[in-house]
Amino acid sequence: MKKVLSLLSLLVLMPSSPMLLAGPAESSPALIDQAEAARKEAAALGYEWRDTAKLIASAREALQNGNREESDKLASRALVQGREAVVQAKFMEKNWKMMIPAN
Amino acid sequence: MIKNRILRRLIPAALMVSAVAVSRPAQAVNYQALVDADTKAFQSYFIKEFPEVKLADYANGVYALNEDSRRQWQEMEEFPPYELDIEAGKALFNKPFANGKSLASCFPDGGAVRGKYPYFDEKRKEVVTLEMAINECRVANGEQPWPGNKGDLAKVSAYMAYISRGQKVDVKVGSKAAYDAYLKGKAFFYGKRGQLNMSCSGCHMEYVGRNLRAEVVSPALGHTTHFPVFRSKWGEIGTLHRRYAGCNENIGAKPFPAQSEEYRNLEFFQTAMSNGLQYNGPASRK
Repeated sequence: MKKVLSLLSLLVLMPSSPMLLAGPAESSPALIDQAEAARKEAAALGYEWRDTAKLIASAREALQNGNREESDKLASRALVQGREAVVQAKFMEKNWKMMIPAN
Repeated sequence: MIKNRILRRLIPAALMVSAVAVSRPAQAVNYQALVDADTKAFQSYFIKEFPEVKLADYANGVYALNEDSRRQWQEMEEFPPYELDIEAGKALFNKPFANGKSLASCFPDGGAVRGKYPYFDEKRKEVVTLEMAINECRVANGEQPWPGNKGDLAKVSAYMAYISRGQKVDVKVGSKAAYDAYLKGKAFFYGKRGQLNMSCSGCHMEYVGRNLRAEVVSPALGHTTHFPVFRSKWGEIGTLHRRYAGCNENIGAKPFPAQSEEYRNLEFFQTAMSNGLQYNGPASRK
């Protein structure tokens, strides 16, 4: 059961999950705002990932330097990370007991 | 009319039932028994995995499992790299604050109190760690808290651990609030987190004794007995929370600050799992 749940948690977190991908039509500032909101939600749940804030900072810097394409790329990655972290937090909140190794 | 008659009979009966329910004393939950059962299961896991290792030896961390590493470590312990830190910690422990008092004024038994931490403070409703108590003593005496999870804070903690060697790990969980903190620590320990979707237990229970690159993965049982440690990788002494933060970094999770509620609860849970072992810090590690 634990292995099934571990696998499930991994599948849920796969970056290719369509529900986690950012909308392509978003403009950079909006994308950055969405990424920041997702990061904050993950942080509030105690599950923020290591690099999300760095990616958002880099996206902002790229936007300031006029590099829109690079900014979008970084913000999209940050958004995916933020959303995956939220999914991870909610999944673990319900299922952490199933992760206890069998004795 | 009939309805009223039925109601007149039912109401006193209902009142009697509710009175009995109210007057019956609530069944007290024995939280310590719940924790003791967890500790027994936790320790049994390692006993079954490594039947040749004595329970008390888990206080030596990974060196309980690997003979080659143990020999190297024992040689290193002949001239321990943390020796100067203990001396510095002793001096800092006795150094007077501006008000004439010192850390020694805050702690009984000359500071040999490692075995009393971490504990759950029932008034404050939170876990108090040794490092937290050291800094709170400084603040209460008009000094600035020491920053971070290394340096002077780790040195004083190392000195206090050193003079407490041999004290028994005996974490008490005696209330619902304490048990809630314990459960938060337990959920942290078993929950997978970060970009690598890994947990404390994933490495330090399920992969214990196997190699992660060149290193053998250490058992979670006994982790908290020997901190603070002088790590060769750090080149200096550091606290348990510094190690927690390093682990979180490694799995791609944002670390929590030292002495955060999350890490204090984790320390509370993890130390309870080592109940019955002996404190033997500070120690040296790779």
